[in-house]
This record gives sequence, structure tokens and C-alpha cells, in this order.
Amino acid sequence: MRRRAVSALTAAVMAASLAVTGLTGCGSGDGGKETVRLMVWSPQGDQSKDKGEWLQTCCNAFAEEHPEWDITFVYGVADEATSAGQVAQDADASADVFLYANDNLTTMTDADALVKFGGKYRAEIEAANSQTSLDSVTKDGEIYGVPFAINTWFMFYDKSVFSEEDVKNLDTMLEKGVVSFPFTNSWYLASFYIGNGCTLFGDGTDASAGVDFGGEKAQEVTDYLIDLEANPNFRIDADGSGIAGMRDGSVNAMFTGSWDAAAIQEALGDNMGVAALPTYTLNGEEKQMYSYAGTKAVGVNAQSDYMVQAVELAIFLGNEYSQRLHYELGDVVPCHTALLADEDIMADEVVAAINDTFNRTSILQPNLAEMSNCWVPVENMGKGIRNGSITHENSAEQTEQMNEAMNSDGI
Amino acid sequence: MAGKKIQSAKRKRFINNSIVHVILAVLAVIWVFPIVWVVLTSFRAEQGSYVSTFLPQSYTLDNYIRLFTDTTILNFPQMFMNTLFIAIFSCILSTFYVLAVSYCLSRLRFKLRKPYMNMSMILGLFPGFMSMIAVYFILKAIGLTEGNLIKLALILVYSGGAGLSFQIAKGFFDTIPIAVDEAALLDGCTRWQIFTKITLPLSKPIVIYTVLTSFMAPWLDFIFAKVICRANSDQYTIAIGLWNMLQKEYIDNWYTCFAAGAVLISIPIAALFLYMQRYYVDGLSGAVKG
Repeated sequence: MRRRAVSALTAAVMAASLAVTGLTGCGSGDGGKETVRLMVWSPQGDQSKDKGEWLQTCCNAFAEEHPEWDITFVYGVADEATSAGQVAQDADASADVFLYANDNLTTMTDADALVKFGGKYRAEIEAANSQTSLDSVTKDGEIYGVPFAINTWFMFYDKSVFSEEDVKNLDTMLEKGVVSFPFTNSWYLASFYIGNGCTLFGDGTDASAGVDFGGEKAQEVTDYLIDLEANPNFRIDADGSGIAGMRDGSVNAMFTGSWDAAAIQEALGDNMGVAALPTYTLNGEEKQMYSYAGTKAVGVNAQSDYMVQAVELAIFLGNEYSQRLHYELGDVVPCHTALLADEDIMADEVVAAINDTFNRTSILQPNLAEMSNCWVPVENMGKGIRNGSITHENSAEQTEQMNEAMNSDGI
Repeated sequence: MAGKKIQSAKRKRFINNSIVHVILAVLAVIWVFPIVWVVLTSFRAEQGSYVSTFLPQSYTLDNYIRLFTDTTILNFPQMFMNTLFIAIFSCILSTFYVLAVSYCLSRLRFKLRKPYMNMSMILGLFPGFMSMIAVYFILKAIGLTEGNLIKLALILVYSGGAGLSFQIAKGFFDTIPIAVDEAALLDGCTRWQIFTKITLPLSKPIVIYTVLTSFMAPWLDFIFAKVICRANSDQYTIAIGLWNMLQKEYIDNWYTCFAAGAVLISIPIAALFLYMQRYYVDGLSGAVKG
């Protein structure tokens, strides 16, 4: 490792002496066609032959639609979760068009790396999306991406164990079968707190409002979670134990997202049931769990050399044709309003459940930088309950500490 | 009387030895445990990252086969070849740098000798990844961060700083009597000839030690490869590939293949070590008595 410490200097000097050829010039096109070079990033799955090469197919269709441009596509691999980091690190050398998860929006806007969609493009995006998915890519009134998929978690269950009535309430489910929940992951655990009236940044956009995960309402939830963890029919899902339990039958219901749907389908077959989040019974009252929801969107690099073409391509990758193809090839759950009205697509249980979750049992994950302080304290709450260090005796105090930590910038 | 004493001494030794061996056995089990587990997992037939039993329920070779045949999502053979290519060339380059620098510092006297040695020691105190982003931007400025040039960039990164880790080899060269060099000089050897014809043949252990360490560093590195490769999936090294297999989307499907990959990358290193082990120990303990 140390050897490489100094490689900065040495490598640079050596490389300079090698005098490597630099950038490729962008020559003028033939026959009045403009020569365009677009770099496009997507997850590997969207480019693999096995899954039908979604990205290549869409890009070629786009090129056909625009004969006035002579487009060369350069494909790169960056999934929705990591692309933002790459773009923010070095926008200049990043893709013109890429896919990102909307919770990374601020990472890129802070680096001035993301293009705002205006004019007719904005109108086009607004026409094709629900208000919630628009909000997910909006910051300070500007739209920063073309949503193409819903991103949230929901419930998978074994139909032979639970009826459709059972899955409406978590406590009913626990009486009938084994439920596994990612208890030590704050993306999931916060759902209980939000269910009992805890709020994040007011309506999710007001940073000055702060986080309200304290007081009696939060303490009640902590107490509920302590009992939940102690329930013999409850299993903590960590390191893939939930899905392993689904396979061997020791777990009857679990909470995860569409990325696990295929594996669960394989394990349960026709018995696979999918549903939005259940309610839970807190002091005799039914409280609805709310998951964090977001979208995946197509973004355009603010440093792009071919801005018009890049924006047009982004719109194209998020249009009805592309989203339908994405769903057919890669099981990516669309968010285009026309597709969500499509009976064939809505007949898919997973799509229906995600959509139900998105509309009814989720809140939009706040897009604020302050949100980054909110993960670890909630995770520690889950871990503390699991370890037995948080009990009914100190739950009030521990809940306040969590709330304080979520509201502070301290590390 | 005497007989009894001898017996009790024998008994004491037996007890001592037993205790030591038991402790060593326990430590050995603890130490080997994770490795055994990875090897077992690589042959596991059940999918997924989590299993409730320590031993797999059934065994299969499919994980290894899949690693080399299912190349549409994660192209392991290509990553393997990329890494091998990078590792071999940076190994050659950095071995040369290390040995040449060590020889100069051991045999030649020049004004910058002391300052250079001090500087290298101080620079060596900083962790390598500190310069990561700077390295990336320098490489980008020269245009080495796209396409096949990434391989060149990585080779430069891994071998560029080699000249600073001369300490062990220099220490070894110091133990070769200077009289041998002088005799060669009198016979008309140049410095280069002394280095190649006299010093190196006398220093096989340290040459091999240097080759081994220079090969391992690029073979195992993740952090620089990740920063420099970015979205160029055709340039990925094994370390990035293995990391990808543990991402949310792939972990359930690829976990056992990940273990298989981990076993496979350790094979070249293990083979090198087994073959060169005796030299390795010689090299570290120093000195050809001449």
C-alpha cells in the first residue's frame, strides 16, 4: 500500500514521458449530419445479452428516430446507486446520460453536475408522471431527471400460510406464521416510526423543520419494537437470512424490493403473495407502516458536449416505449402513467403491489442533504434492541437520543 | 532418586508440550476456519448468501463453471486476464525499480543518497489511498482513463512508487561484501555488469521476495482499480468483479460464485508461494555469507 502512496507523482512523470495520445476530436459530419458522441451508463443487467440489451435497443431506436444526427454511443457500467458518486466526482469524464436513484439527487446538484429539464421537455415529463414521482426528482422547483422506475420495498408472503385478510396487519401475521423483517436496516425500520406520526423535515422538503422522531409517539414505537423483537415468530432479516428462510420454509413473509422478486418466485412458486405494507397494532390502535419510496431516473450530465441530444435521449429512455421494454426485459417496474393504466402490466402482482405501496403506504424519501444524518441513529436503535441494550426501562431516554442524533450534524 | 527425577522432568516436558500443542491446534483451527468456509461455500449447491448450516447440504462444481461461462453480466474470464496482464507487467517494472534503486543506494555514494532515503521514509508513512483522487485526475489529464489505456494507467500506478520501498533489498545487498564488487571492477566490469552478473546472481532470495510482493500488490488491489476504472466494465479487475457480485442485485445469485472466484484468485499466489517458499524465508532472514 505504501508503495503506491507516492505513485501520484511518479506515475504522472512516467506517463507524461510516454506522451500518450489524447482526446479524440469531434469531426464534422458527412452530408450535413452532425456527428454526436454520447456516453451512456446503465447497470450491467440492462446491457447484457441475456436480458435483451435494453440499453442498446433503446439507443438504436433513438438513433433511428433522429436521422439528422450521426450518433456514436459509448456504453459504460454504473448502477443507479453508484452513478451519482461517479458523476459528482468527475462530471467532465462521466456519461452524458445515466440512470440514478433519486435519493442521490443532492449529491449531484451540489456538484452542479445535473441538468435541469425545462420548456417542452419539462412539460413532457410532467405529462407522463404522477405528482409523487415528479416530486421525487424535483429540487427547489426544478426537475432534474426523467423518472423511469419506482423504487421502494414491500411485502412478500407465502399464500399457503397467510390469507389476504391476514396480511393487512403485522400482528395478525405474527400469530399465524413467521415474519422476517430487516430490523437493523434503517431504510426499513423507520417505517414503524413514520407510521405513528413521526416526521422528517416537515413534509419532507423543509430542512429547517428538522426531524421529529422523539416524544411519546416515538417512545411508544420503540416499546412496540422491543416486544416485536422478542416475539418468537419474528426473525431479524440480515445478510440474506430472510430469503434463505423463504427457501427452506422457516420464514413465511419478508420485506424487500423487486430485486428479490425472481428469487422468491422460484422459492414459493404459485404460493408467492405480494402486498403493500401492513398495519401494526400499537396500544390497541391500528397504525399504518410507511416505507421510504423513491424513483429511479434518467439524468443528464451538466458538462455534456451534446446537450440537446443528451436531453432528447434521456427523455427517450424514460418514455413509454423504453419503460415498457425495460419492464418486459428486466422486470423494472415502470412509473409512466400510461403504463400504470395498462391492464396487462397491472395484472402483474409485483407491479400492482409496488404501485399500491407507492401510492398508499409510503412517503417520499426526503431529498435533503440533512437526510444523511438520519440513517445511523435508526440503525443503532435496531441493533440496540437486538442486542438487548435498549429495554422498556430506558426506551424513552434512548428514543430521545436517537432523535437528537438525527437532528445533529455531529459524527 | 535419580530415576525419579528424570521421570518427573520427562513428565513435565510432556505436559508442557501437550498444553502448547493444544493451544496451537486451537489457534490453527481459528485461523484456518474462514478459509475452509470460503472453500466449502465455493462448492455449495444451495443458492443465496445465507445458510443455516455450516457444511453445505450438497456439493457442486457449477459455481466454478458458471464463473467462466456466464459472462453476460459479470465477465470473470476477462477480468482475470486483465488482472493477470496488469499484475505481470507491474511486477516486472516494479521488481526492476526496486532492485535497481536498492543497488544504487547500497553501492554508490552520491549527494542525494541520504536525503532520498529520508524522503522515502517520510513518504512511506502516508497511506497510499490518500493520493487516490489526485492520481486519478493526473491520469485523466494525460488521457489515460479511457479504453485500454486504463491498463497502462494501472500498471503505472502500481509500479510508479516502487522505487521507494527499497529498504529490504538494500539491506540484503549491504551484506554482500564490497570486495566482490571491487574485484569485478578491477577486472573491468561496469557498474551495470556488476549489478547483473555479480550482485543479482548472489541475491536470488531477495529477487524472488521482490517478485512475489510486486506481483501480489496489483493482483489484490481494489481501491485504485475502482477509482480509475469507473464505468469501463471491460477493464475491470477481479477485485472489482468480486465486489460487484456482492451488490444488492447480484448477491443472492452470485454469492457462491463469489466464493469460487475468491478461491481462484488465491491459486496463483498460493502456487507462487509454495514454489518459492524457501527463497522467501531466506530473503527475509538476509545475507549470503561470502
